[in-house]
Amino acid sequence: MSPQEAQRKSRLLRGIHRTVTGLHPALESLMAAVVGLLVGAILMKIWGFKPWEAYRALIQGAYGGGYELSNTLAWATPLILTALTFSMCLRAGMFNIGAEGQMYMGALAAVCIAYFVLPPGIHHLVGLLFAATAGALWSLVPAALKLLRGVSEVISTIMFNWIARWLGLYLTLNILVDPIRSEKSVSIPTSARLPVLVEGTSLSYGIFVSVAFALVIYFLLWHTATGYELRAAGLNPTAARYGGIRNKRTMFLSFILGGMAAGLAGATIMMGMPPTYAAFGGFPQMLNMGFNGMAVAMVGRNHPIGIIIAAIFFGGLSSGGGWMQILAGVPLEMVNVVMGAIVLTMSIPELIRVFPAIKNGTYKLIRSLRDGKGKAVEEGST
Amino acid sequence: MSDEHAARNSEMFLRAEKITKVYSDGTVALKEASVEIRSHEIIGLLGENGAGKTTFTKILSGLLPPTSGRVISPAGPVRFSSPREALDFGIGMVHQHFALVGTFTAAENVALSYARPFSRIQLAKTIEQLEALMEESGLGVPLDVPVEKLAVGEQQRVEILKVLSRNVDLLILDEPTSVLTPLEVDELFNLLRRLRDAGKSIILITHKLKEVQDVTNRIIVLRQGELVGDVQTASATTEQLAQMMVGQAIEAEAGAVELSDEELPASRTLKAVNRTVDSILQVENLTIRGNTGEIAVDDISFEIHGGEIFGIAGVEGNGQTELVESLTGLRVPDSGTATINGTNILGVDPRQIYRLGVAHIPEDRWELGLVLPFTLAENAILGVHRWEQFRGALSVLKWGRINQHVKQLMERFEIRAAGPGAPAKSLSGGNQQKLIVGRELAKNPDIIVASQPTRGLDIGSAYYIRQTLLDMREKGRAILLVSADLDEVLAHADRVAIMFEGRFMEVCSPADLTRERVGMLMGGVTEAKETA
Ligand SMILES: Nc1ncnc2c1ncn2[C@@H]1O[C@H](COP(=O)(O)OP(=O)(O)OP(=O)(O)O)[C@@H](O)[C@H]1O
Ligand SMILES: [Mg+2]
Repeated sequence: MSPQEAQRKSRLLRGIHRTVTGLHPALESLMAAVVGLLVGAILMKIWGFKPWEAYRALIQGAYGGGYELSNTLAWATPLILTALTFSMCLRAGMFNIGAEGQMYMGALAAVCIAYFVLPPGIHHLVGLLFAATAGALWSLVPAALKLLRGVSEVISTIMFNWIARWLGLYLTLNILVDPIRSEKSVSIPTSARLPVLVEGTSLSYGIFVSVAFALVIYFLLWHTATGYELRAAGLNPTAARYGGIRNKRTMFLSFILGGMAAGLAGATIMMGMPPTYAAFGGFPQMLNMGFNGMAVAMVGRNHPIGIIIAAIFFGGLSSGGGWMQILAGVPLEMVNVVMGAIVLTMSIPELIRVFPAIKNGTYKLIRSLRDGKGKAVEEGST
Repeated sequence: MSDEHAARNSEMFLRAEKITKVYSDGTVALKEASVEIRSHEIIGLLGENGAGKTTFTKILSGLLPPTSGRVISPAGPVRFSSPREALDFGIGMVHQHFALVGTFTAAENVALSYARPFSRIQLAKTIEQLEALMEESGLGVPLDVPVEKLAVGEQQRVEILKVLSRNVDLLILDEPTSVLTPLEVDELFNLLRRLRDAGKSIILITHKLKEVQDVTNRIIVLRQGELVGDVQTASATTEQLAQMMVGQAIEAEAGAVELSDEELPASRTLKAVNRTVDSILQVENLTIRGNTGEIAVDDISFEIHGGEIFGIAGVEGNGQTELVESLTGLRVPDSGTATINGTNILGVDPRQIYRLGVAHIPEDRWELGLVLPFTLAENAILGVHRWEQFRGALSVLKWGRINQHVKQLMERFEIRAAGPGAPAKSLSGGNQQKLIVGRELAKNPDIIVASQPTRGLDIGSAYYIRQTLLDMREKGRAILLVSADLDEVLAHADRVAIMFEGRFMEVCSPADLTRERVGMLMGGVTEAKETA
């Protein structure tokens, strides 16, 4: 190979490589989604349902039309935010499992604005601000415990989820309670409700809050010194310290931003989900949204843009699941099975290596077969 | 084969045939390299940074598959899909960067390399075996301390022991000497000679020509992925080797070879003209504890003036690491004071220390110096990412400016990489080092704390870095040079401290020292014993 030729070849390969490695994470996520759906299909088959029909109903129900798509996006709205909670902290090297609780606190704070009379616009802002602050404050306690006392944030955030849940129940039914209907809290007044985007669906302006927040996070992580510090601290804390980065501050920051995102998730549901615009005891409207956010984060590869796409996928599973039940008779739980299978598949490290491994394995097998016949092996380029 | 006669009773052990390696990002690291490896020989593998040495040996040891070409043993072609398979075949490699489990002890690490589930019994056996091996090889390490608490040099020894304990036929050592002291190098070489005489093959990668000429039988040279030389050691001159490595064009660098390798005191002619009266860095009664709580630095005092290089020589693990970490904000010392121009620097955030004009070239480039998954550009601003030239309003990074800066760095320090966007982990060892050194020196610092600044650099690059340090001294900067490379310290420092077990055995001008005496002091032997 002449130097020029090698150079040219190398430049071409480099281009291809960049595209492919850029796509690697996306491919892995796609594979996980496919595997998850396959596992679901196999189980349906075993239990005597028709997977093909079920999935058709699911896809129809999730993406089949403007109405369906709107509902899917409505589901995606809080998922984007709770996924960002997990990803932000993971990027900084911390496991924040507390999105669920932080979201509850945000929701309750949003409900509190029912007691103020403010002009629309300002009322909305105050609501979002309240929610974000409450979420951030709720996440600060585990963060402080971690940084000052070394308490594992995994454990403390999970514990704080439970505290938030029962505290929320108490507050909803005792303090913020609707004087007329004692099973729910006061309703957020119209001046603070996020307008519905598509009539007859739950899709509200909340989606803009989610997407905007995701874009802000994206910009923060890759285009500001603060985000740079956060990523450095997450990838190599020792080197970050050497680089003059204060790891504790970046960790705090990641928890604050994560908590804000989760709090906002609570707000988008309280302020943007018809018809009640109020919290119920046990938070049925947003139950598990925080946990599902972690699955979304995983499939979205902890990248804000990936998260938006993954949230639309997961949102579709949730919103289309109902149709699957109605049209194909498949129980709603099957959706959870699919989600679970996806998460399990995603957690296999370096999933993409499966392909080279299969390739190498096959080569080896072929070779051993040929060697068995006593032939010399001629191994060409791979 | 023309050089058949050299090996008396040697036979072919392995032949690499037309090995080409194209990394997945398109970097052509090897171009049809063919080498025959025989028993009873030590082969020196030379080449500039990024020439493909590590790649070549990784392919031999089963860590990387070749893109094309094959490896042939007398029994037929072989193909390893993992280092374990290569080990079973009898090929072991000690890597440029270590593959040790930090929280495990040396013994556990070795036991781990044998089999997956390792038991107490096996561990006890391993310890026994290791003790015998240490005795025999002269490589000593504490076996019961987590390896992450060991100095880099000690970790290196663990790696060598790990492979030796497997009783391999082909031992590959990727720059093993860059972290060893001269005495340790001698010991290692004696060991290698013994192994050779016992019929083993050894491939030794190093950037030190003297070492290659000292210990090898045969030398192969890679240049930009091509095998450009395969000669008997006895028949090759230093100039020839240097020429093979860099190609014909570069004349000036040939001079560099001689300076760094032979005429050590050459640089002393431009001694300390600009030395300032006042000291810039002042250290008094500094005592520091190591990771395990033992006293690592014991009541040390010194000062460095502007326009002066203060060298610290010594076997690694005698407190140098702790001293440097304390002076750069990474470790809080027990007692004592350290000031830069009167400002306290102990227990202070690294960020504040950098503001006083300090640059730090750390000894551990993978742990401290780089964020490996980050790109070259991202790594090039580590520590300076908040500088105004890179950061605008709202702390927005100016990537345009940063990339420009990186390109300048790449040019000035000859960092060979696919581009500013290449991840740091895809760089060759030497190029990673150049990236760190370049980043730190580009800060235009007043004080440079340099730990092993030229470790792993090829001769030309090492020469350039040393020259840059000398230039900075001329400009009145203060430099603390910590190095296991005795020649480097002796040739460049204005004053040298020899460190042993946390203390300075002696502080004096290198002119007053002989290599032998330094060697003794490094081993803790004082004058009294010497004259006795
Ligand atoms: N994982 C990788 N991906 C892409 N390119 C790589 C990778 N590893 C090495 N390279 C490139 O391959 C070339 C050869 O690298 P190699 O590590 O073999 O050099 P070397 O001779 O060992 O250099 P050094 O003396 O600096 O250690 C370099 O240009 C390097 O940038
Ligand atoms: Mg190398």
